[in-house]
Amino acid sequence: MSVELPLVRIEGVGFWASRLPGWGIARAVMRDEQSAPDAARSRPTPTLLAPTERRRAPDTVAIALEVASQACAAANRKPAELSSVFASTHGDLAISDYLCATLAETPALISPVKFHNSVHNAAAGYWSIGVGSHAPYTALSAFESTFAAGLLEAATQAVCDDRPVLYVAFDIEAKGPLSTVTPSCGLLGAALVLAPCEASGGATSGAERSGAAHATRLALQVEAGADPRTDMLGTDVVSTIATTPARSAAAAAVSGNAMAACLPFFEALASERSGEVLLQLNRNAALRSRLIFP
Amino acid sequence: MAIRPLRIAAYTLCSAAGDGREQTLRALRERRGGLQPNDFGPQPLSTWIGRVAGLEQQPLPRRHETWDCRNNRLAWRGLNTDGFIDAVQRARARYGAHRVAVLVGTSTSSIGASEEAYARLEPDGRYPADLRRPIVHTPHSLGDFVQHALGLTGPSMTIATACSSSAKVFAQAERFMRAGLVDAAVVGGVDSLCGSILFGFNSLELVSPELCRPCDVARRGINLGEAAGFALLERDAASGPWLIGHGESSDAHHMSTPHPEGLGARVALMDALARAGIAAADVDYINLHGTASAKNDEVEARLVAELFPADTVASSTKGWTGHTLGAAGIVEAAISLLALEHGLMPGTLNAATLDPACGPQIRRENVEGNCRRALSFSFGFGGSNCVLAFARGDAL
Amino acid sequence: MAAAQSASERELAELIVTVLNLEGVAAADIDPEAPLFKTGLGLDSIDALELALEISKRYGFQLRSDDENNLRIFSSLRALTEHVAKHRVK
Repeated sequence: MSVELPLVRIEGVGFWASRLPGWGIARAVMRDEQSAPDAARSRPTPTLLAPTERRRAPDTVAIALEVASQACAAANRKPAELSSVFASTHGDLAISDYLCATLAETPALISPVKFHNSVHNAAAGYWSIGVGSHAPYTALSAFESTFAAGLLEAATQAVCDDRPVLYVAFDIEAKGPLSTVTPSCGLLGAALVLAPCEASGGATSGAERSGAAHATRLALQVEAGADPRTDMLGTDVVSTIATTPARSAAAAAVSGNAMAACLPFFEALASERSGEVLLQLNRNAALRSRLIFP
Repeated sequence: MAIRPLRIAAYTLCSAAGDGREQTLRALRERRGGLQPNDFGPQPLSTWIGRVAGLEQQPLPRRHETWDCRNNRLAWRGLNTDGFIDAVQRARARYGAHRVAVLVGTSTSSIGASEEAYARLEPDGRYPADLRRPIVHTPHSLGDFVQHALGLTGPSMTIATACSSSAKVFAQAERFMRAGLVDAAVVGGVDSLCGSILFGFNSLELVSPELCRPCDVARRGINLGEAAGFALLERDAASGPWLIGHGESSDAHHMSTPHPEGLGARVALMDALARAGIAAADVDYINLHGTASAKNDEVEARLVAELFPADTVASSTKGWTGHTLGAAGIVEAAISLLALEHGLMPGTLNAATLDPACGPQIRRENVEGNCRRALSFSFGFGGSNCVLAFARGDAL
Repeated sequence: MAAAQSASERELAELIVTVLNLEGVAAADIDPEAPLFKTGLGLDSIDALELALEISKRYGFQLRSDDENNLRIFSSLRALTEHVAKHRVK
């Protein structure tokens, strides 16, 4: 009961957390080559945005754009040419807290800037404006399965549209009363540039793509759960999927963040050893992610 | 670039204009809009809204109580209209629960429940007990509920790209099916009235104090509405209208203002026509995004005037439903499908004098006639654009 | 040489810098006679709405963007300060 997508290439990686500010350091910590710094960095500055957008950018946008830029640079791809998938479990929790608190007191005094930043596609919108891209973007959530869902969507787009796709996943800290039901600590963002393996994946020269032979490949398989819940009357919401746990010291640095479920995937990438990571796609399905190193 | 067309085996919609296809069709035919003066919330803004009556008295059935909130009540109402749930059950039996995707769109999901929680906080700052349900305080509240309510186990996610959300899900479903991941998909979307959207859009001065007048020279902004809509796309359905194309793009201009030349809209439109393998002249009806905001309607009108022959019928139907945000895509797709199936191309309700930017395509009055192919435009906040192309069941 | 700011112009300059998060702009350096929008400080229509909100909260009167005098009211820090002085309730 499983189906596999055609292979995609992972051309670039981006990563940012307050104590793992960059893929270089995150990877080193995941490989046990160094420990995570104690000091937490404050959010990165989205330098690719024009001053007007930059001063309005909330934390979600800052994190998402940082890792997106990193991944594109690592992939040696022009950002404007990539379509993109932005995934966040809860979106901008700080703004949600602000909106709910303001509505409870003085609803007529909602900040226009904060409201226009509250849309789930804010990071995607700012990215497209910042890099001047008319390529399509999407913004999604799948609750605790957000990382896997977004990964599947990005890979499917790459394969179907025969073009490279930027995938960005992020979550920020929960503030205020909202944090008692949707907890999330710190800032975490991660990004990939995926490209189809078979065709050229867009207008690129053979010389540019000569690195393709040495790229890491990814095979995604959707697996129905061993015990699918087919009873419409069931109220049990406990997951039946045994996902790959995070194993490295990096886990402690991002624990409590709503997007921490992405960590095992990036640990596997950091290991540079071919292998599989099982991610939850929903309560009754898994995404088996097989990484194939050259 | 042309895609394999997909049958729409079932579809439904619930909005202020009516519950289900038949009521909506009658409202369109009889020119009866569903908008009303705003009475939502403790201090209603002075505007008009599209409100779905009765949701306050319609909690979800006990077995779904974890997901109870206005948005999911509206979703449930939609699922139980036009026999949609039964159609999904047939698909589930035919293909397997894991081979049916659930891809739904929304803008604010059930943030209304969070708003309510903040208004009723416990002395210690926690949510009241009845609202301590994490799944309703997160964007995927809608997708999770719909997947659970339908007993499906395939890939499921909630798309939130503002006004293009429940149009983009059609494109996403087509790709998932093309890639062989699923054999069918429940697509659609739901958005409900809440403080965030009313006061939020008001803070941007996009809300009209009066009944909205899409495409009208004296339009003063949008009226917000709530709605639920769903469609069932199937690989092997025997009948139903067709999804023949889709196109998506970004404006890359400004978060809350469309590209002044409609560059992104044009890209999405050309891609939709290319995937459908048709030309602009092959289109009989266009359901415009037509929000009644100053900028959107002008940009859209000019695009249509430039690219389509004079006899193409184009209109905005937001005068009937209001701007249903994350549900606008599916609601207007469904209205486009009604146009195809019944030969009724609605005009632009509430427009008295059309903006000079409008070409001959944009109609105030309804047009009855042969409608074989339709386009639906959704151009969202944050510059996210989606154009869908549909064909009547016998008109491939 | 930019014109000097009065005390109330400085107060409003500080409000503008804080509310709009104008990084790298010192309130004291805003020329009170220079344009606020498009050129000069380069603010846009969303900034105008945000400023109008903050001014209404701080000074207790409504600034609506459909006021036909807005082009003049928002034309410079000096013009804005004068308008606030004339209409403030708080």
